[in-house]
Amino acid sequence: MTSTVPPSPADACAPAHALDGNACAPPVSFDAVHTPRHRRRPWRRRYALELRQEMPWHRQAAVLALAIMTGLAICTAILVAAGVPARELLDEFIVGTLGDADNLRAVLFQAAPMVMVGLAAALAFRARFWNLGLEGQMVWGAIGATAVALGDIGTPGTRLWLMGAAALGCGAMAAVPPLLLRMRLGISEIISTLMLNYIAANLLLNLVYGQWKDPRDAFPHSRGFVDAERLPELAGGYSSAILLAAVLMLVVWWLLQRSRAGIYLRFVSASARVAEAIGVPVRHVVAGIVLLSGALAGIAGFVVIAGQAGRLTQDFYGGYGFSGILIAFLARNNPVAAGVVALLMATLFVSGRSLQVFYQIPFSMVQLIQAILVIVVAASDFFIRYRLSPVGRAE
Amino acid sequence: MNLITSWIGNVPDLAVPFALAALGLIVTERSGVLALGAEGLMLVGALAGVGAQLAFHSAGFALIVSMLAGAGVSVLFAVMVVWLRVNQVIAGLALVFFCQGLTSLLGSVNGWNNQPVSGLEAITLGPLAQLPIVGPLCNQNLVVYLTPLIFAAVAWYVDRTVGGLRLRAVGENPQAADAAGVPVLRIRLLAILAGSALVGLAGGYIGVVSAHMWTPDMTAGRGWIAVALVIFARWSPRRTLAGALLFGGIEALIPQLAAAGISLPQYYVLCAPYLITLAVMIQSVVARRGEDDAPCALGEPYIREERR
Repeated sequence: MTSTVPPSPADACAPAHALDGNACAPPVSFDAVHTPRHRRRPWRRRYALELRQEMPWHRQAAVLALAIMTGLAICTAILVAAGVPARELLDEFIVGTLGDADNLRAVLFQAAPMVMVGLAAALAFRARFWNLGLEGQMVWGAIGATAVALGDIGTPGTRLWLMGAAALGCGAMAAVPPLLLRMRLGISEIISTLMLNYIAANLLLNLVYGQWKDPRDAFPHSRGFVDAERLPELAGGYSSAILLAAVLMLVVWWLLQRSRAGIYLRFVSASARVAEAIGVPVRHVVAGIVLLSGALAGIAGFVVIAGQAGRLTQDFYGGYGFSGILIAFLARNNPVAAGVVALLMATLFVSGRSLQVFYQIPFSMVQLIQAILVIVVAASDFFIRYRLSPVGRAE
Repeated sequence: MNLITSWIGNVPDLAVPFALAALGLIVTERSGVLALGAEGLMLVGALAGVGAQLAFHSAGFALIVSMLAGAGVSVLFAVMVVWLRVNQVIAGLALVFFCQGLTSLLGSVNGWNNQPVSGLEAITLGPLAQLPIVGPLCNQNLVVYLTPLIFAAVAWYVDRTVGGLRLRAVGENPQAADAAGVPVLRIRLLAILAGSALVGLAGGYIGVVSAHMWTPDMTAGRGWIAVALVIFARWSPRRTLAGALLFGGIEALIPQLAAAGISLPQYYVLCAPYLITLAVMIQSVVARRGEDDAPCALGEPYIREERR
């Protein structure tokens, strides 16, 4: 990580004469190494890649801004090609969503679960655990909450709290199998969490087509929740979900920035081996953080079904898994930044739905836009981390 | 008896996508590039294949288009991981989501959703098809017959040729390979392109030959299962073929059980491939503790100037 010293010409030249892998090439003299090299492949040899020590933050921000502009330009081109008039894009995305009180409420409503999955992903990634099972954990959280609601457990006054607690517990439990597989057997959590997503999705279908199916209509969903089982509205018609999301964001911020576990976690993210060597309880920290990540995803599931949907549906979790990963990635695993990015993603979702209604553009456009943003931001990292420096031109 | 015969007859058709996708992943991963994008590339292959079949009505041509589409989209992945040194997990996930969004968008924009297409004709191997029990194995389409040959060719190339040696060298120790004059980045690019073409073919097979239509997200996690299969097979083509037959056998068993009158809750049965993937990964760890055949440089971007 410390190699900012320009490589000596000897380093840079060493493999050059043997580029064709010609084992029988006669030994070459020192002069012969230098002169024909540039003539033969100038476009291959001219630059060396150097790791930067650090880039000033304003230049980092400039690179990032340039990358996002490029991504947005690509997305605009795709949207225009798909038939959205260019003039109305700005109107649709910015003015239409943030200028209108109804739409602003919709964005904040949509943002609440996004903040939670974003925080869940950010926590797990900080513990170097690729929790790709956010959707499965959301499903389990929602199943737990619905079980409380359908079972009429508790009084109407405590029902919502019990549902939340059940979602939290079920989400955390859903994170246990991949955690155990990784810690006991060293099985990559990337595959196991994804497989558990598919399993959770099928079990959800089993419930909504089976014993939890609403007998009153033909659709695969549970009966609607009564008022005591739904998230209440605050003054002005804003959902309390966004308040819950803000509280959770502050809790995670406190955990990461102010608590002992946060300090430990910083060691673990930097290097688990060094952390182990200096006495950080690495396994406990990772296990605790991953369980918390699952719990947050479970609460996100609860918020979706007790807020937007009002019942357990077959596909309420769609798109949240990738959104969570994307939010954590774009926010550099920072909880406060995750909140901001989640708001932007919620704007994208709400606009995506209105594009669907007004221009018949499939909702998968939203996923494509998200993926393009991840790709450009990931690519821009290259210019922040490395420097291309010309080698051997002066010789 | 009839059930067993028809089960055996269905296994190859379901095993081929797993086999080809996992083989493609092996080619890519042997060069040290962690390839998580299979799920997305299979979707691209399936969509491109079905689209070509709808336009030109030639299954062979459609499968070639699938391969080209898989390789074409993987250029994006190659630029990310080979030159821009993006974290290979992030790049792979981004590729999957990019392809999911792109394919379901293009599918509905072009009106290809649920449009039936014709697949490949079965080729009967003369009197062999009349044999008891194994007879149906000799009444398959061309790709099924070609798959073992493709496997043999790839295994021979990787293990027995200079090109294969370079590929493995780049995956095991890129620094040494570079010092020996092997163009690391170029070999990784070619490995990604070649491997992705095979993954695209696997997707095209699912769309054109197995399902005869395009539906969004039709691969249903088979790409991820292929990734797990490669780990289970420890990057060996021979064990991959065996693993693909295992998964093909399980997928073929599900409708047979229903036909035999054994009624299981539908959605529990649909969980089976994913549960078995987990079981297989556990088994491969428990059976061989400590032994690890993964390419040493798997997942590490190569930077010549980096001190190690």
